[in-house]
Amino acid sequence: MKDTLVMRKRASDNKYLHKDFHGALSCGIEYLRKHYGAAVVARYLKTFTKSYYAPLRQQIKKEGLKAIKKYFQKIYKNEGGMVEFKESKDKLIINVKKCPAISHMKSKKYSVSPLFCETTRIMNEAICEGAFIDSKLVKHDINRGRCLQIFVRRTS
Amino acid sequence: MIPCTDFIPAYSELFKTLNKINGKKAVEDFWKYLAENFLTNLRSLVKKHGLKGCWLYWQHTLNEEAAGFTMELNEKKGFFRIKMHKCPSKGRLLKIKHIKPYHDYCRHCDVLYRHILEPLGFEYIFDSTKCYKASCSITVKARQ
Repeated sequence: MKDTLVMRKRASDNKYLHKDFHGALSCGIEYLRKHYGAAVVARYLKTFTKSYYAPLRQQIKKEGLKAIKKYFQKIYKNEGGMVEFKESKDKLIINVKKCPAISHMKSKKYSVSPLFCETTRIMNEAICEGAFIDSKLVKHDINRGRCLQIFVRRTS
Repeated sequence: MIPCTDFIPAYSELFKTLNKINGKKAVEDFWKYLAENFLTNLRSLVKKHGLKGCWLYWQHTLNEEAAGFTMELNEKKGFFRIKMHKCPSKGRLLKIKHIKPYHDYCRHCDVLYRHILEPLGFEYIFDSTKCYKASCSITVKARQ
């Protein structure tokens, strides 16, 4: 049709990586926090993690720390994070020097919910539940997009 | 960190959480909040460029989301259209067999964009009849 600008794309033409979704998730978390409180945010994230990451949880039960390392290496690489992994027999340390979610939101001037890093703490705890692994978000700096995550294997 | 590639199931679970707390209205209130607080770039682009602002907004998001689509813009005739052949979000939800998506997931596309575009003087038409197969269409028309 004359004067009509047309763009046609197949799904396979592009890589699926829309980082603005971090901003939308932050906005959703902030909405829940403001309207229903931090406990509802925690419940929501736990419910989501336990159901959606059920296959990963199974993998962690089978392979332990290796499965956690493999998963996080893949996702941080995919999003271009600056992350160091240190692994020993019973411990995995993930040192995030540049969180891709926070750095993207900052670059787009999206507001970052003060509870945004709960996605990391709660997700890590939930994926380790029942796998004899304790997880801790030892420290995090939401302004600079840095955090230190530790996973420790226990015997019982 | 929840990766951006897992956002869609997280978004769907958020709708389910809100629906459980206070029904459909709680979900719709959130969609309107999201439109007001997150889709500010769509509003600014349409304010600045008119219908072409829709083209500029969706050419960014649909390409990054790896959608299968046809997008058309005719400023003389006053319309913008997206024919979504393969919606990446709904497609993903249909593929994941171990979770149950929010039953009215696709309606967010109706509420969110309508909330932005109608007050700016456009008619917004969302055809959701083929959502069950991850397909839909959006038409934005300049009001005469």
